[in-house]
Amino acid sequence: MYSIEVRNLSFKYKNMEANVLNQVNFQVKPGETVAIVGKSGSGKSTLCNCLCGLIPKVYPGELSGDIFINGKNIKDLSHAEIVTSIGIIFQNPSTQLFSPTIEDELAFGPENLCVDREEIGSRIEKILKVINMEEYRYHNPNHLSGGQQQLVAIASVLMLNPSILICDEIMSWIDREGKEIIKNLLLQLKEEGKTIILVDHEAENIQIADRIIQLGEK
Amino acid sequence: MNNLDPRTKLIIVLVLSSLGIIYSNVAILLFLLIVATVTATICKSNLKSVVFKIRKLIYTLILIALFQSLLTNKGNPIITIGSVNLLTDYGILRSLEFILRMGIIIVSAAIITTSSSRKIIQGLIQWKVPYEIAFMVSIAIRFLPILRDEMTDMLIALQLRGIDFKKIKMKEKINIYKYILVPITTNSIMKAKELAAAMEMRGFRAYQSRTSYMVLKMGIRDYLVIASSIAFGIFFITFQKV
Repeated sequence: MYSIEVRNLSFKYKNMEANVLNQVNFQVKPGETVAIVGKSGSGKSTLCNCLCGLIPKVYPGELSGDIFINGKNIKDLSHAEIVTSIGIIFQNPSTQLFSPTIEDELAFGPENLCVDREEIGSRIEKILKVINMEEYRYHNPNHLSGGQQQLVAIASVLMLNPSILICDEIMSWIDREGKEIIKNLLLQLKEEGKTIILVDHEAENIQIADRIIQLGEK
Repeated sequence: MNNLDPRTKLIIVLVLSSLGIIYSNVAILLFLLIVATVTATICKSNLKSVVFKIRKLIYTLILIALFQSLLTNKGNPIITIGSVNLLTDYGILRSLEFILRMGIIIVSAAIITTSSSRKIIQGLIQWKVPYEIAFMVSIAIRFLPILRDEMTDMLIALQLRGIDFKKIKMKEKINIYKYILVPITTNSIMKAKELAAAMEMRGFRAYQSRTSYMVLKMGIRDYLVIASSIAFGIFFITFQKV
């Protein structure tokens, strides 16, 4: 069984004439790290949004084809099942963080899924150790560097313990030092067996990928 | 007092601002403003910072009050031009009333700022306000500085292209604001969508209810303050004519 299987996926945004995605097909095995590359406008971010169900729920349009997450068609999965199977991190860390403290930010996801308080507490402690930010627990995310904000965004997604992680150009707003920290974290997650989809323009950011999928070229 | 439950602070604000709206006597409004200021100081609210943040709004309020006093014809004239009463004692009283009333609302609202937005949301949720509405309010507040930054960035970009805002006429200024309104709105909508997507992917509204890692508990002090605030409000309304 594949972690992700995409069959004949096509998508066209509402009020647009041409398809952004045209008959896309690929599979990703469990624990595999796959990089998706392509020119600007080739549909990389659109593909990411399709894979996690944001399309057509948040971004409407004409979607055809099938996406299977851990063997199940995404159309048959509930909201809670999707977010616990697949997590996504976006480019801009500031629009992903909205709570006054890092603790609140990390607790937000599990709270939505009705996880009990003790469990949320233990997950917060564990995840803060993973990102090495224990001393920032009560800090305001807005007062952190871009790299640290992105680490908090990754941690907030990991709080739901998804087996698949999509990183949509997560290093494009980060300085060199921040990039190194994030790359090390991704490497650690890869070793733990997470399936990772990396979308990026820069070759050095996708070094940890096992293989590359080129989008927008035949 | 700073550690009071946000719900207690909300009740204090509710009582003070309600009294501020009900009464129109200048002496009473001044008394209420003093009470609000003392309460805000006890709650360790940073009034200086609040006043600094809303300084432009304060200028606008003073301007409104000034116009209000100039446009009121009732009362004994103080300054007259020909047969037109430019300034009357009644007009001055009305504008003072307006300034004091706004002062009470602003100062009492500053009491709330001593609690974090998360605690206020939690307070509202524990008051059985639907969590979607509580988060909606909090995120709307969070978006205000983003909108302001967006506006500032846009104005700086225009200044870098050689437009000096201090030198151009008001009419041109209004035109420029009209042009930048579209990109500012578009960018803000895009950011709001990104935020919505991030919240969606963390399971927001996956279920009808949600648990909360933070739980607020009221202490004896909270109950005492709530009881005193309500008693103060009832006492005031009972013994003081509106």
